Amino acid sequence: MNGLLELAPQLAWLIPLLPLLAAAGIALRILSGHDKGDGAEPPSARIAIYCAGAALLLLLGLDVLALGWGVPGQVRSGIWFTSGAIVLPISFTLDALSLSIATLVAFIATLTLIFSRNYLHRELGFHRFFFGMSLFTAGMLLIVLAGNVALTFVGWELAGVSSWMLIGYAYERPTATSNALRAIVTNRIGDAGFILGISLAFIWLGTVEWPALLHANRLGTLSAGLLALGFVVAALAKSAQVPFSPWIARALEGPTPSSAIFYGALMVHAGVFLLIRMEPLLRQAPALMSLIAVLGLLTALYGYFSGLTQTDVKSALMFATTTQVGLMFIACGLGWFTLAAWHLGLHASWRAYQFLASPSYMHLMGGPTRAAPAWLHNKQRLYTAALQRFWLEQLSDWLLVRPTQQLSRDIRNLDDNVVSRLVGLPDSAVVSAFMVASGEEKNQDKVVRGSGLAGAFLEWLALKLHRFESRLLFQDGDSRLGRILARIGSYLVAVEGLLSQPRYLLLIIMATLVVIL
Amino acid sequence: MLRALFLLPIVGAVIIALLPGSNPRLIRFAALLASGAAMGLAWGLLGVFDPALAGVQLFETHVWNPRLGSAFSLGVDGFSFPMVLLGTLLTVVTILASNCITKRVKGYYALILLLESGMLGVFMARDWSLFYVFWELTLIPLFFLIDRWGSENKHRAALNFVLYTMGGSVFMLVALLLLYDANPGHSFDVASIAQGARSLSQEAQILIFLGLLIGFGVKVPIFPLHGWLPLAYVEAPSPIPILLSGILAKMGSYGLIRAAEMLPLAVQALQGWLAALGMISMIYGGVLAWHQRDLKKMVAYSSMSHMGVVLLGIATLNEAGLTGAVMQMVAHGLVAGSLFLLIGLLYERTNTRDIAEFSSLVQVMPRFAFFTVLALVAAVGFPGTAGFIAEVHVLIGGFARWSGWVIILSMSVLISAAYAFRTVGRLFTGPVREEMRLIPDLGRAEFAAVSVLASGILLVGIFPTTVLGLISASVRQLSKVFG
Repeated sequence: MNGLLELAPQLAWLIPLLPLLAAAGIALRILSGHDKGDGAEPPSARIAIYCAGAALLLLLGLDVLALGWGVPGQVRSGIWFTSGAIVLPISFTLDALSLSIATLVAFIATLTLIFSRNYLHRELGFHRFFFGMSLFTAGMLLIVLAGNVALTFVGWELAGVSSWMLIGYAYERPTATSNALRAIVTNRIGDAGFILGISLAFIWLGTVEWPALLHANRLGTLSAGLLALGFVVAALAKSAQVPFSPWIARALEGPTPSSAIFYGALMVHAGVFLLIRMEPLLRQAPALMSLIAVLGLLTALYGYFSGLTQTDVKSALMFATTTQVGLMFIACGLGWFTLAAWHLGLHASWRAYQFLASPSYMHLMGGPTRAAPAWLHNKQRLYTAALQRFWLEQLSDWLLVRPTQQLSRDIRNLDDNVVSRLVGLPDSAVVSAFMVASGEEKNQDKVVRGSGLAGAFLEWLALKLHRFESRLLFQDGDSRLGRILARIGSYLVAVEGLLSQPRYLLLIIMATLVVIL
Repeated sequence: MLRALFLLPIVGAVIIALLPGSNPRLIRFAALLASGAAMGLAWGLLGVFDPALAGVQLFETHVWNPRLGSAFSLGVDGFSFPMVLLGTLLTVVTILASNCITKRVKGYYALILLLESGMLGVFMARDWSLFYVFWELTLIPLFFLIDRWGSENKHRAALNFVLYTMGGSVFMLVALLLLYDANPGHSFDVASIAQGARSLSQEAQILIFLGLLIGFGVKVPIFPLHGWLPLAYVEAPSPIPILLSGILAKMGSYGLIRAAEMLPLAVQALQGWLAALGMISMIYGGVLAWHQRDLKKMVAYSSMSHMGVVLLGIATLNEAGLTGAVMQMVAHGLVAGSLFLLIGLLYERTNTRDIAEFSSLVQVMPRFAFFTVLALVAAVGFPGTAGFIAEVHVLIGGFARWSGWVIILSMSVLISAAYAFRTVGRLFTGPVREEMRLIPDLGRAEFAAVSVLASGILLVGIFPTTVLGLISASVRQLSKVFG
């Protein structure tokens, strides 16, 4: 029994690896062309389901051990890499929080995969979907189980990328791709916060292991706050709290099972999980806690009012989720972390069921959708605001997107009008290709042509040197050197002619005699 | 051994002269056999040649004229041996590429073999009088090769070429006689003359060196002495520039290295001027190459530009720079050889060399296009090709000596990239021309010749130690002379 107790936690690395292997297997099937026809569907689905199921079984085994003999705590499976003083181990934190949430994750993921097998039957991107789902399961399990911040970040990114893939699942629709882009770009802001947190941890603490990070007593309030702030920003972005909320409504573009697992049940709660995980650190930064509570409250209100005015099932569910997650943030902000954890687990299970069932609601419903309540009707401004989702998206467009676009346009103009001309690059690839294709005959005389400032200089220099060269050489019959030689030659001929006449010969002889004498 | 290497081509030429002229294939085969045997012998010497030794190896000497103190002495060291290898290789390539010669085949091949003999003699001679004889000996076959088998302006080109070289040779001869005069040992032997020369005053050394510089500079060619180059390269029958630029130009830079070895005070005094000449040649040749529409002229001027790099490398007088100079001699031999070969083959097929006439040749002649791109890329000095190794060494050596001035070398690389990639662009873009749709790709013999050169370019570029190992001992010894 003791041997098992020793061994089992060491297998923790298998848990996130299994879904990852499933993703790799499905990717291989796609690459090798085994993704055509009905017959190809069951194997792909089976790979994903079995791997997720195996991870779930492993987790359940760990749970039993943990219940009976206590949680294993921090487990180290090896070293990822070392670089100078920085050592990055592959470690897992197996405590009550991570084990329970991980079990929940694996459970919901397995169930959703089983559900999707029929739901996505004969869909064009069947294999792609299971690939993304397996990737997501791996990422989510890694977020929950990881023993250090860097490994958590790996999971965080895996989840982000797979979310992007599945929002853009129907990539032939422009809305799907633009929404996917929007979602992943918003999440990047959170990722930047995450990286900031990791860097600060390395600089100040020299380690990124969760236990060391959370129980670092030598940090002052301000440092602890700054360190936590990065992770809080990441959590806010991932859980779609107020300034970042709009992306999640756009994320519904993906297939329903993926919406269920990403935005209903699991990924949206990743931020809450991160906050709960950071409990000791957050308690050192009270100001941050109040900020979290305020933002949570705002999100809850935002979700509540916007939710009242929605008319489609998924959006209504989405805003309900946002409200609930906002409530969890309030709980965290007020220091009720245990309550938030329970809320998380229950809400995830319930919402996963609701999302998966949402396509059937259409059949179950007896009458038309209930209208927005009368009291909201009567408050014109609030109603408009709720309908417009409080203009959050327009606000971010106005604050971030438009200035960025303008800046990029300006830089592009600079590039086209100044830099390219100076360097001599063609305006754009299209233009030059067109010129080569159509202007071939016209430009024949212009092979030797430089473009840009440097090119013009080279052209000028080449012309000068060419002139110099043709004077230097005897190439042309009428070159200057040739003419000079010809003139000298003619003089010599004349002198020769004169010398051959007797009188000059006599003159020379006499001159010689005079000199001698 | 070296005597046999020198005599082999001559024997081949004599045999060809005796063969009936009515069978060109037999003559071609005999020429190939003779040059191939010379190549086999030269490359076989790799087994005998010890690269660890800096001095002259495989030395042999026979008294020639005891009263004058001249001797028939041959020997090779780290500077000359790579040139011997390159020369025998390029001769075989030239003969392989000579399918287009259909008139007076007998004379053509005999002259090429005589040329090979003279050229090998120049590199192997260990006696200055012998060196001079061989130097002049290369002129005669070349004059006839250009004058008899060249294109339109062949007479003027041949005359121009010979006059320029002879004009230079006069200065060289005077300088050699002055050296002989200063030599108390009364001998033309290279080592003995070097000893005598080093005891001369700096002024005398400079005067003598200037004479040698003019003589060798014509062959390289260095900037104001290049008047023969465009005509001779363009008018010569298409295989001949392979030899002319690939190996005969190296005789000039090789002579300069020998002169520097002999007259260290003069070279040190003129170091800056030599570097300036090298840089001017680089930029001047590069810009004019860029200006040309005629592909052959373009390569001719680019050849001048690349030889400027050799001169710059010699002028650094340090180990890196000298290594770069010798590497550039090898690299340029391979690169210029393959470029002239390819352009000659293209000219035979299309009867035009105007760059504007070509477009999308890659679709018609994929093999030709591939090798041309490789050669052009090597000419620019891309990493992984022989040119890169050479340029990097010259850059390092030059930077140690003149720091920022080596930016001119980078400029010339930039200019060479401009014309090289313009040519590449022409080969790869645009519509396929109707009249060029049926041009045959490289034939078997041509393919063999080009791929040998191309693999040499890549081999030296990827495993530079193969050549560096051959030359390093001699280069180190020479650089020690200058401290």
